[in-house]
Amino acid sequence: MNETKNIVLAEDNTTLSQLLKFRLQKEGYTAFIAQDGKQAIELIEKHNPNLILTDIMMPFISGLEVISHVKNKLKLETPIIVFSAAGQEEMVLKAFNLGATDFMAKPFSPNELIIRIKRILI
Amino acid sequence: METFKILQNYFQQLPIELQLVWILSSFLACIVITLSIYLKFLRNLLRKKEVLKIKLQHKYEGLLLSYLFEESNDNELSEHQNEFIKIIQSKINDDFKRKIIVETLLKLKNEVSGEIERAIQNLYLKSNLKEYAYQQIKSKKRYIVANGIKELAQFKVKEAYPEVKKLLKHPKKEVRKEVELYLVSLFHFEGLEFLNNLKVNLSEWDQIELLEELKHFENQEIPDITPWLKSKNETVVLFSLKLAKIYNKYEIVDTLIQLLNHTNQKIRLQVIDVITHLQVLDAKEILKNSFKVRSLEEQIATLKMFENIYEPNDEDFIIENSTNNNFEIQYSALKMLKNISEKSFNNLLKKNNNFDNNILKFIQNN
Repeated sequence: MNETKNIVLAEDNTTLSQLLKFRLQKEGYTAFIAQDGKQAIELIEKHNPNLILTDIMMPFISGLEVISHVKNKLKLETPIIVFSAAGQEEMVLKAFNLGATDFMAKPFSPNELIIRIKRILI
Repeated sequence: METFKILQNYFQQLPIELQLVWILSSFLACIVITLSIYLKFLRNLLRKKEVLKIKLQHKYEGLLLSYLFEESNDNELSEHQNEFIKIIQSKINDDFKRKIIVETLLKLKNEVSGEIERAIQNLYLKSNLKEYAYQQIKSKKRYIVANGIKELAQFKVKEAYPEVKKLLKHPKKEVRKEVELYLVSLFHFEGLEFLNNLKVNLSEWDQIELLEELKHFENQEIPDITPWLKSKNETVVLFSLKLAKIYNKYEIVDTLIQLLNHTNQKIRLQVIDVITHLQVLDAKEILKNSFKVRSLEEQIATLKMFENIYEPNDEDFIIENSTNNNFEIQYSALKMLKNISEKSFNNLLKKNNNFDNNILKFIQNN
């Protein structure tokens, strides 16, 4: 029997995070929602997820700091997908330098996100 | 009663100046107390409103998500979906709740694309929110009209074009700005047609917003901007020059050269900037020949332009300006001369001892 895969989603837009949570649950994943970077780090440390989805711009701790924490402090190899808005190209490059696996520019298609997640979590 | 009489007697015995001070102090104390009570009431009201807003946001978020997930399963609307549409329709005339519903829809619509975005769009159209926005654009209050147009643009209601276009000549700037953004965000470069007949000024901020909107489109094929460069509206000319620079419009070089003689100095300066960006070599001779009759700002801009496209045959012009009284012109000229011919540069230094040592040191070391 396959073990359910855990995903931590850090996104300050509650409507979007709820939508993605529904989609992820529908696909059989367990999603933990964080509304800011601080909560995301707490959830990552607690659940050690198989995948992290994070927005770049978030209150308290940014997505870049979350990636840095995961890769440099926790020394985890967890794949990370970053969400970026238009005009954040430099941030995306920084995210890749810090160890992000993939990125999706907003507005994005939730279906496409699911496909990317499935490819990463094969 | 006794105390009041004692106070009254005391007050009456006071000199008139002190009585006035007492009256004024009492009056001010009353105002402070009233305002404090009012502020406390207002703060409580706003807090209650905020709590209610968050509660309603959660409620509508839930309903929206149920709507979206049910729609993706079936083409026909389910009972729950119709119920949500009915809820929206019943709240349309409640300004507070309608705003929260629209905000909730936009909050998700701006972040997603594909079928979910289309589903939100359909929900907006089916739930009569569009009709309400149509009503808003007929309002007499300018901010309501502007909001209505903005909403129609955000939900990409192209059918509203005839109604919105009528407002292009609206006396209020806020409304005109929203109309322009509506046209550009929905019809892209074709939407810029309003520039053909624009009589009012396009502010710097409006121009930035339009350029920002244009950046989002995949198709960056911009139409012919020559008519706008020849417009009588100087702000349209300035905006078109920005378009020429951003979209590298090499085909408008002839018009740019003509604009070097425009009556407005700001336009002439921006033309030199675009010519510099496009590296129009044909403009060099024209600028050299008219250099002395141009304003100081244009002369500085011309030298900056030469810094990017100078050639050995520009040496005479550069030497001529290396003794210019203006620091920026002199500095640019000396820098170019050193790069074109070290020999001419050294000869010039020998002949002329009036150069600022600091400039020379800097140029020699760089």
